[in-house]
Amino acid sequence: MTQDLLMRYLIWPLVKFLVAFIIVQVIVAAMNWVERRLLGLMQARLGPNRVGKEFGIPWGLAQIIADPIKFILKEDIVPSSSEKVAYFLGPMLPLIPAFLVFCLIPYGPPPHFVVTHVNVGLLLILALTSTGVYGIILGGWASNNKYSLMGGLRSAAQMVSYEVPFGLSIVGVLMLCGSFDLVHIINYQASHIWNLFPQLIAAFIFLVAMNAENNRTPFDLPEAESELVAGYHTEYSAMKFAFFMLAEYSSMIVNCCLMVSLFFGGWTLAINGYGLTTGVLRSWGWTGGILGALIFISKVMLFMLMYIWFRATFPRFRFDQLMDLGWKWMIPLALANIAVTGIVVLLGQQFNFQGEVVLSIAGAAIIAFTLYLLLRPRAKVIHARRVSEA
Amino acid sequence: MHVEYPKPRWSDKFLLLDMLEGLKTTFRELFKPKVTIRYPEERLEPANRFRGMFKFSFDRCIACKLCALACPIDIIYIDVHDEQREVDGKMRKLKVLDRYDIDVKRCMFCSLCEEACPTKPKSIWLTTKTYELATYDRNDLYFNMQQLEYWEGRPEYAGLPADESDTKQIEGGTA
Repeated sequence: MTQDLLMRYLIWPLVKFLVAFIIVQVIVAAMNWVERRLLGLMQARLGPNRVGKEFGIPWGLAQIIADPIKFILKEDIVPSSSEKVAYFLGPMLPLIPAFLVFCLIPYGPPPHFVVTHVNVGLLLILALTSTGVYGIILGGWASNNKYSLMGGLRSAAQMVSYEVPFGLSIVGVLMLCGSFDLVHIINYQASHIWNLFPQLIAAFIFLVAMNAENNRTPFDLPEAESELVAGYHTEYSAMKFAFFMLAEYSSMIVNCCLMVSLFFGGWTLAINGYGLTTGVLRSWGWTGGILGALIFISKVMLFMLMYIWFRATFPRFRFDQLMDLGWKWMIPLALANIAVTGIVVLLGQQFNFQGEVVLSIAGAAIIAFTLYLLLRPRAKVIHARRVSEA
Repeated sequence: MHVEYPKPRWSDKFLLLDMLEGLKTTFRELFKPKVTIRYPEERLEPANRFRGMFKFSFDRCIACKLCALACPIDIIYIDVHDEQREVDGKMRKLKVLDRYDIDVKRCMFCSLCEEACPTKPKSIWLTTKTYELATYDRNDLYFNMQQLEYWEGRPEYAGLPADESDTKQIEGGTA
């Protein structure tokens, strides 16, 4: 009996967590190469394509291995005037929550592909991810460098500001699904429709806040190269710097997982209960489970590519613009979204129609209209002439 | 340049259409051909009038030493001896080249030697397509007559195209 409990509550979750952890770390290592390569391709150049040519590895893929080796072998320089303990703790603190969250995310259909089934999983994930900022502030302060300190301060202000719309954007989803349980939210989406449609504004706010939370362009003010050298990790080298990077990319993956689970149906590919729902996948046993996990991972990777796509496209915000966007636009928009969702759902209950259907139709209409405006054929430049010729 | 763009509508602003337009642009760039040339594997061929490595012709050279005189940094070394030879049934004194060395490591490729050369066509010229002149030993850049004349594995001078050779003659006509 004890053995059974031990197996069920300790060893089996630990094994599952380790498998998920290793997969995520491989993705993190690969993302470094993918990011540089994709960014290059979008900027009319090739990106890293050399490493590994001697061993017959194509496209510079050996960069994935070469980068960690370089990080391990480099000298670990500690500034003599730094606060030693805090300097050492700086890179560790954001790492712990970023790794811990991976045991709360459901990767596939429940029994085998969910590490720990917590019924307030979403709250726990939010609580853990928001502690990541402490390491950045601590590291920035302990470096005894004005650029690091500025980076840390900016990071703190930015993360606190965007934590609010980040949390508020989820409320609409919670009102529709009625649960903090990610598995329940995903099942709800499979039996109705992806939350993207009824909660389009929430999804947009979540996307923006997610970029800001991870200090990614266009919100990469904490590490703005043109202003602050490298921001909070100016004084960090070797493995300590690698830890910061690891934490950043891990939390990027966490936020992508949340995005997929909350708005894009997680491991399911179903509308209104038809398609690859959890039930269908579970009836296929392990094959279905792995298929579900693959669907989940590919959706997550699409959002990781979206991060890079944003980085290649948008210029950095000024700091007052960042704060304006956060406090004057994102938070009122999120509150308005909550109010509208609540009113429509309550009216639906009162007058016997399905509130989320109305919201879905509105969301789909907005998406269709935007796509029409974006993809319609247009005159390129109406008029191009020299002023002197006129 | 006076460019008029279509006026943004209210809906365009509300739907962040300009941002999406930017995303569309970067997405299109992803599939466009890249400008990078992967150098050791891919090489660009220089233009026909590219001024590259020296080439020398022993047969055309009359050993007048004008190129050595024209050289602003004196890196062309010429040794000559006189020889009695029969030309058209008469014995005539001829200059014969013993040594024609160029110290290319100090050369600035000004091509004044080429301008000074009185023979037609030139017996020393720089319009070759060779530009990969780096060596591991600086003494490898000291070229003697044979090295300047017989290249191994270096791209040969392709000759000027018809329309460009005309301008060349006008420019170099007095030289």
